[in-house]
Amino acid sequence: MRPLEPISQTARLWLGLSFFLLFFAAWALATLGGFVPKIFLADPITMVKDGWLLLTKFGFGLDILITIWRVVGGFVLAVIVAVPLGILMGAYKPVEAFFEPFVSFARYLPASAFVPLLILWAGLGETQKLLVIFIGSVFQIVLMVAVVVGNTRRDLVEAAYTLGSGDRSVVRRVLIPMNAPEIAEILRLVLGWAWTYVIVAELIGSSTGIGHMIIDSQALMATGQIIFGIIVIGVIGLVSDFLFKLVNRRLFPWRLA
Amino acid sequence: MSKLVVESLSRVFPGVHGGAPVTALQPTSLSVGDNDFVTILGPSGCGKSTLLRMIAGLDRPTSGTILLDGRKVSGPGPDRGMVFQSYTLFPWLTIAENIAFGLTEKGMAAAETREIVAAYIDKVGLRGFEKHYPKQLSGGMQQRTAIARALANDPAVLLLDEPFGALDNQTRALMQELLLGIWEREKKTVLFVTHDIEEAIFIASRCLVMSARPGRIKADIAIDLPYPRHYTLKTSPEFSDFKARLTEEIRAEAVLAAAH
Repeated sequence: MRPLEPISQTARLWLGLSFFLLFFAAWALATLGGFVPKIFLADPITMVKDGWLLLTKFGFGLDILITIWRVVGGFVLAVIVAVPLGILMGAYKPVEAFFEPFVSFARYLPASAFVPLLILWAGLGETQKLLVIFIGSVFQIVLMVAVVVGNTRRDLVEAAYTLGSGDRSVVRRVLIPMNAPEIAEILRLVLGWAWTYVIVAELIGSSTGIGHMIIDSQALMATGQIIFGIIVIGVIGLVSDFLFKLVNRRLFPWRLA
Repeated sequence: MSKLVVESLSRVFPGVHGGAPVTALQPTSLSVGDNDFVTILGPSGCGKSTLLRMIAGLDRPTSGTILLDGRKVSGPGPDRGMVFQSYTLFPWLTIAENIAFGLTEKGMAAAETREIVAAYIDKVGLRGFEKHYPKQLSGGMQQRTAIARALANDPAVLLLDEPFGALDNQTRALMQELLLGIWEREKKTVLFVTHDIEEAIFIASRCLVMSARPGRIKADIAIDLPYPRHYTLKTSPEFSDFKARLTEEIRAEAVLAAAH
């Protein structure tokens, strides 16, 4: 192996797959081989059986849909607020000076620690779940978008001015289109984080969703179900990541040119 | 008649971390006639780019005024088109869209825009590349697009800041001929900053030599070589005379600049 030497597409695919196989093989060996007691860790076969049961008998499909709706709902709300604010902060330094210190502070407030407060304020309904996701995502997006927009190449902005652009036109015709792919990339990243918040929100005071199923399964010592729930989240994450990349590639062909 | 008048323009950059302020440009006066092609030649760090950026409105003068067609310049505007040394095409726009950028800004109708863009695509020899993105083009082609983008806006003056500085010698020579050809046909007031002596003579009707920092104009030389100019001109005795003279002028400054 040489440092930085590229590999072929097929080799990449096989190597990526083989680690998954290795991982499941090790898991199967540990559990089916009797090295780990069943009560702590279910084996893969039990996991698949439990999962099938969950989906067919206990309406787990609905839980999955509810959780997806919560993530997407809270995330979209955060995007609607955060992206325009981030762009304004990146473009206009006084706006940045006004918001940046507070947002930097708020970013470190743990979204999960807000769950009890939010239950108090918003009750146990959907609003509370959406708010957890919102709080967890909004400050991150604001800051990251502001940094990206603030680092726009100055010479491109200057070129626009010498072509007759005004201040607002520079924002609309240079800062936004130039940074749109980076902003999309930020959203992809933060959406991944939003998935961890939703489970936390569902672990406490929830009667639906993947997180609720996991907490219920803990009471029953059904480790197979818990693992199935975790894997479902992983698969959804992987799919949404893939979709995001696909859409980005479609929207911003100039990046690949 | 003077198109562009610069009166005792100077620029002092404040000192960094309590250091002494740096005078980039001493008070400089200059007047450029309509349709002149003026090259500004100087060693690096002599303030020639600062002078050009102030005329473009991208940098604020410490003192002095700039008048274009009798009106005071106070900020950047489409009447002063600029071509930069770095590649400044908008990467998310195609070549045609880049050239149309300023026209869209003016609110020009789509049909008229298309016509002008097509005309400039031809003038800079980029037919067939209209739908390409800047990344897919060579450096020389990108700078040709940048020239077309600035000219399509029909500016009163065209400012170029070492536009061919990053290109290889052969491409650079072709670009000089292309720009000179456009100027000979269409007549335009041009200010062109360079540190290349041959370039400064070949394309210019007038050459200003700047001193080492703090910059000022130390020589103002009319390049009265005949038009149309052909690349073979570069090996003629008249050209060599200019070259010898400018080399002498600039050498003293380069020595000074290197000593700093």
